[in-house]
Amino acid sequence: MSLLLITLFLLVAATGTGVVLTREPRRQVLALAANGLALTLLFTALQAPDAAFSQLVVGTAAVPLLFLVALASLRLHGPPKEERKE
Amino acid sequence: MRPRLLLALAAALVLVPAALLLAFRMPEFGAHPLPYGDAATALMLHERHVTNMVSGVNFDLRAIDTLGEEIMLLAAVGGAVMLLRGARGEGGQRRAAAIPGRPIPRRSEAVVLLCRLLAPVTLLFGLYVVLHAQLTPGGGFQGGVIIASAMLLVWLGEGYAAWRRMLPGPLLHALEGGGAALYALAGLAGLALGDAFLANVLPPGESGSLLSGGLIPLLNLGVALAVAGGFAMLFLEFLEETRAPEEGEE
Amino acid sequence: MSPLPWLVAAWLFGIGLYGIVTSRNYLHLIGCLSVVQSATYVLLLSAGFRWGAGPPIFQDQPPGSLVVDPVVQALVLTDIVVGAAVTALLLVLVLQVHKRRGTVDPDALRPLDR
Repeated sequence: MSLLLITLFLLVAATGTGVVLTREPRRQVLALAANGLALTLLFTALQAPDAAFSQLVVGTAAVPLLFLVALASLRLHGPPKEERKE
Repeated sequence: MRPRLLLALAAALVLVPAALLLAFRMPEFGAHPLPYGDAATALMLHERHVTNMVSGVNFDLRAIDTLGEEIMLLAAVGGAVMLLRGARGEGGQRRAAAIPGRPIPRRSEAVVLLCRLLAPVTLLFGLYVVLHAQLTPGGGFQGGVIIASAMLLVWLGEGYAAWRRMLPGPLLHALEGGGAALYALAGLAGLALGDAFLANVLPPGESGSLLSGGLIPLLNLGVALAVAGGFAMLFLEFLEETRAPEEGEE
Repeated sequence: MSPLPWLVAAWLFGIGLYGIVTSRNYLHLIGCLSVVQSATYVLLLSAGFRWGAGPPIFQDQPPGSLVVDPVVQALVLTDIVVGAAVTALLLVLVLQVHKRRGTVDPDALRPLDR
């Protein structure tokens, strides 16, 4: 098994673990983008340019943007008047 | 301990050994026969004159499967838009919302210039990717998202008001719904000619030309319109969440 | 070294599931869900791989050359894009929960708790 594929498989496993272990959502967005990039590289090495293309535009641009906007919205539109259970 | 953690632990006791056992019993990586893939490749290459096998599989061999994906996209985008609008109505809102004490920084000229330069180039690239679906890597799914992100660059560079003027909501609705309808209606062509639904009834054309692949470019166009419209609408409705109602409303 | 792809797929699935189970924030949970999803991509593309074969594009290689399986790639390709739209729907549901209940912690939500 080639060194490149081994490295990329391990990189995907590591960045995926990073996404899960980053509990703070704002940082997790960056971890998600890194995971998307690692997956793109792996797909390219697995001779799947179409899937890599798709993962590149969706995983590193569209999905992080949606996450960031959702985060912004959560901060802007705080909880309604009801008491918060903390 | 929380119940979902207990449930997960119980499942892990069984599933982890099973997954490990399976991983070591799987066929050798990269060294097992691929009869289905080879058959698909031969069929697409010689009978449909397509050079990108993945598009061939998506829009011909598994066209009905892609119709399902298309409907899923339509349902997901429709659901998201409906939930967002249900909470705040359909019209655009004037003022950028900000957390008290944190002013919104002005857009720098470098960002404006870069976006003005990049937005048309990105749009062009998206169209290229869509049109060459059956020839080189790319297709309606990827190209659609690229086109939508080109529209997003307009928001980044020109600001909210210009963006809303340029991309009226009804246009995006028409793209999204029209794309899905085009795909489904193109499938009816086969039925009209006495063949199966979504059968590739057009002549395959010359291999390597933009119009090769029979029905494939048409179906691909339907997907591209739906994905571009759908994602642009998602971006639009999501970013609407960062706007506040006019002072004095509510 | 040969079972590595399958082990990585299983690991991604497992770690993502662990994240979902222990998550205290719905946004984090959706991120973990996308890790679980990526496990299927790794599994499918690894299953369609073949040593010494090129990509399934014949624009620049002669017909008849050895290529990897295009069918699994088509499955992955459509799922990535549709998965993103579904992620958007999930994010909107989180925003709705936040607006109505003022929390994004799965444990703070109880059915019919008003």
